[in-house]
Amino acid sequence: MTKEQPTYTQAVLRLETIVSTLERGGMGLDETLKLYEEGAALLTICKAELSTAEGKLNELQLNTIEAALESDAQ
Amino acid sequence: MNTLVVKARVFKNCGHLFRLMTGNGHVTTGATPIGQFVQLVKRTVAHDPLFTNQALKGEVTQWKQYASGHTYFSLRDEDGQMSAVIWKGKCFIDPNIKEGTEVVVLATLDVYVKRGNIQLVVQRIEPVNLLGELEKTKRKLLESLRREGELDRQRHPVPFVPQHIAIVTGAGSAALADMHRLIENRWPGLRRTVIGVLVQGQRAPEEIVRALAVTRMLADPNIAEQRGQPPVDLVIVGRGGGAPEDLWAFNLEPVARAILASPVPVVSAVGHESDVLVSDLVADVRASTPSDAIERVVPSLNELQFFLDELEERMTVASRRQLTDCQQRLAVLQSRLRVAPLAGINRARTELMSLGSRMERSARQLFNIQSTRLARYESSLAAVHPQRVLERGYSMTQDAKGTVLTSIEGLQTGQDIFLHFADGTADATVVKTKQMRRNDD
Repeated sequence: MTKEQPTYTQAVLRLETIVSTLERGGMGLDETLKLYEEGAALLTICKAELSTAEGKLNELQLNTIEAALESDAQ
Repeated sequence: MNTLVVKARVFKNCGHLFRLMTGNGHVTTGATPIGQFVQLVKRTVAHDPLFTNQALKGEVTQWKQYASGHTYFSLRDEDGQMSAVIWKGKCFIDPNIKEGTEVVVLATLDVYVKRGNIQLVVQRIEPVNLLGELEKTKRKLLESLRREGELDRQRHPVPFVPQHIAIVTGAGSAALADMHRLIENRWPGLRRTVIGVLVQGQRAPEEIVRALAVTRMLADPNIAEQRGQPPVDLVIVGRGGGAPEDLWAFNLEPVARAILASPVPVVSAVGHESDVLVSDLVADVRASTPSDAIERVVPSLNELQFFLDELEERMTVASRRQLTDCQQRLAVLQSRLRVAPLAGINRARTELMSLGSRMERSARQLFNIQSTRLARYESSLAAVHPQRVLERGYSMTQDAKGTVLTSIEGLQTGQDIFLHFADGTADATVVKTKQMRRNDD
């Protein structure tokens, strides 16, 4: 079963939980390493998410974009 | 008042003309044809800004809409009146306007040369009670939306980081410029598609509705894929502030329905302070201005990056501390392990010592008890020692074998016996025996 990639919000929420758990302390080496690995993976996802939102600016008049969509559809 | 100004200006110009005509005395030969005169009047008033684009208020009389498409009427009040014309298709005419309707017109003064009539050419006409009517329609619309449950509907959650924003607003408007500036501040290069529409006037509602239909298409993942863009995941529809009637498109049912039909969250971003618009009530997010909309839905990239950096730092520090803790726990265990056997031996030794002393103590106790008991026995024994009996005058007799004789039975005459006294022994010989009769015999 492949796990679906979490959304930015989900990833950040989980990341916050992980950080709080680590800060609370008291867990074993195994769990610490597991949590750290998971947190690092989530950080990568979040950072990637921040970079994908950048893109092009399209500024079109209504008629132009309607025509473009119509020609796309044909 | 405008009528009076018109009159004053015309008379002033006429005076000038009169001087031109009479200056050289050729009054009759130099008379200007009336047509030319009226043309001059027309040109004069046409170039005077006082008579151009004036907002005038009055009551409609002699309202006539001709088959040609032109509409003629007079605008009057208690102090005066003037003919007016609305050329075919020049402006939207509210169907509610009829004889006696109070209206405001935006008009320019013109002279109808053929008849020398001064008239108002109307570019815009609106009933004065329009806003009242609109308010009624708005209330009705809100009632029916409420009945349908649209006002309490579950709102679409706004994406934390919009991947593609569609902005429906006036092309080249100040509001759009503000939004662009804010977006670039908060998230430089955020992907967005702006659909330029008319945001006021008769065509505004239809254009906004069509633009929202376009955003629905752009939100379709298949269409988006064809266009090589991520699907639109947030729509902002709005404009800058204005008079209530200028914002009215956002109170109309088609616009409200188009907002409700959006598969992605819609932000109503119409600049206004007091009245709530229908679009505000049906949208997923209500913003007070287009800039406010951006601040609500576009996160600040810097802030987010800072937040992530902070989380990363906290995670690293916490993990490192955890590892140090683990190491320390291990070290403690190690040293405890090292001293554990010693501690065991020490404890055993202590226990042994304590056991030894307990044993000694109880042995001594036992010995003391026995000693006391022995002493008692000794004194008891001493009391019954044969010596004490001998000292009282008794003697003990033994035969030659050393057997103590307690009876004369078996004693032979002439047998040697030994008599023991307290202070010595006497050897004797039995001379005669005589048995005593016992009482119990």
